[in-house]
Amino acid sequence: MTENVYPQPHEDADNRPMLEAWRDGRLLIQACDSCGVSFYYPRPLCPECWSDQLSWHDTSGRGEIVSYSLVHRPNHPSFNEEVPIILAEVKLAEGPSMITRIVGCDAEQIRSGLAVELVGDGAHKRFPLPTFQLRSQ
Amino acid sequence: MISPDIGILGYGETRHVKRTDRTLLSLFAEVSNQALGNAGIPKSSVDGLAVSSFCLAPDNAVTLSEQFGLSISWAWQFSAGSAGPVAGVIDALRAIEAGQSQYVLCLAGDLYSVDTHYRLMRNFNHSLHNYAAPHGFGGPNGLFGIVQRKYMETYGLKAEQLGKLAVAQRYNALPNENAVFRDPLTIEDYLNARIIADPIRLYDCVLPCAGAEAILLGPLRGDGKGVRVLSGYEQHNYPPGEVAPLSGGWEVFVDRLYDDAGYGPEDMDFIENYDDYPIMTAIQLEDLGFCRKGEVGAFIDAHTFTFDGDTPLNTGGGQLSIGQAGAGGGLMSVVEATRQIRGEAGPRQVARSDRAVVSGYGMVGYGHGLSASAIVVAGENT
Repeated sequence: MTENVYPQPHEDADNRPMLEAWRDGRLLIQACDSCGVSFYYPRPLCPECWSDQLSWHDTSGRGEIVSYSLVHRPNHPSFNEEVPIILAEVKLAEGPSMITRIVGCDAEQIRSGLAVELVGDGAHKRFPLPTFQLRSQ
Repeated sequence: MISPDIGILGYGETRHVKRTDRTLLSLFAEVSNQALGNAGIPKSSVDGLAVSSFCLAPDNAVTLSEQFGLSISWAWQFSAGSAGPVAGVIDALRAIEAGQSQYVLCLAGDLYSVDTHYRLMRNFNHSLHNYAAPHGFGGPNGLFGIVQRKYMETYGLKAEQLGKLAVAQRYNALPNENAVFRDPLTIEDYLNARIIADPIRLYDCVLPCAGAEAILLGPLRGDGKGVRVLSGYEQHNYPPGEVAPLSGGWEVFVDRLYDDAGYGPEDMDFIENYDDYPIMTAIQLEDLGFCRKGEVGAFIDAHTFTFDGDTPLNTGGGQLSIGQAGAGGGLMSVVEATRQIRGEAGPRQVARSDRAVVSGYGMVGYGHGLSASAIVVAGENT
């Protein structure tokens, strides 16, 4: 059974707000109170100015596919039944880019530049990290 | 600048094999003896040790000195993936210049396999473990698929052009007894191979294998066998904050690299770069000054990269054909450059082999390799 469980992130004091928000289907990212830069993934300091005055911000959950790969040989057996895994660089509307997974469509539908949004309606609960789907036009 | 009085005196390399019953220490023992043997330096002279290896733990540079009965005054261990072994050569030469050591043995290698590789990559660092592995990222193949697609869509690079690099390197490996893959590869084989992480195909990927390499550094003797390191730099986490950049740290130091050496890319007789994927070989050709950013497709069309071609590249076959022995891949290129400059490459000897640029790359973080390094090497009498 454990074979079917996706690898999980290690939850710690730095990433807990993001992981807790995702359990509610929301994507939080950090922004620096000092220089204003926002970034993903979670860190204990601003990677731009090293301020530790950081705050968490809700995002629109929307972004755009910058580039992607279709992974036929995943890194863990829990993904084997779901290949190809659509692994993408998604640029969030709020600015930062992240590596994420696109679900809910055929690989043939994927193109760079397409709009994506967070999976919703409880579907997020399967996924350990913020996961996206093509945005309905 | 690096002192003209010190350099590479010897080298060693095991055969690369898919599996072995031997220990990593045994592979390191073999290449150490080879390097000291062709340098003509006794074991008692070695007083520094630099080691790069993913699988060495719980051992390290110091416990390796106990295993090998060496008392050393300088110990170094890598942290920059396969940029590390090239950086280690630079650091070791600095240590010799500073008087910390006189003769430094640089070792790199791993007992690597496909399973070892995937296990390692899941826990390679916090960002990959926490924010990539839970998505089923597929290890480096998935990440470099994103880089390759972005490059192809941005600059119009074609699969056939990347394939030309893989095919040329396989040609180079045919006479290399240390290579895992020694069957001819055609462009049709490359294009028709199964997809691993679209757009990454099978022959874009290296095979994790077992192997090791060694380089011995020390005072040059003017006997024509020494190889000078004219210049060398490393750069990490460049450009900062990008997930899938189309350039690497080489472009930060490329001008200094050639200025220090007193030669430009046009003076290089051959190139040994880090070919974890042909797309990274292509990006290195740009970042190391062989063509401008975005123009590597035309550069590939205009040149031939076999050892007997006009732009010999990865003349032993590179990791794409020799195999990737973990961190050993980063020293393989230094070993091959040394062999070529000494004129000891046998049937794959490059016709003119006075000077080369050798680059390393590695430490995959959140989306790409964080570390870049490069040296310019030349025969001591050139």
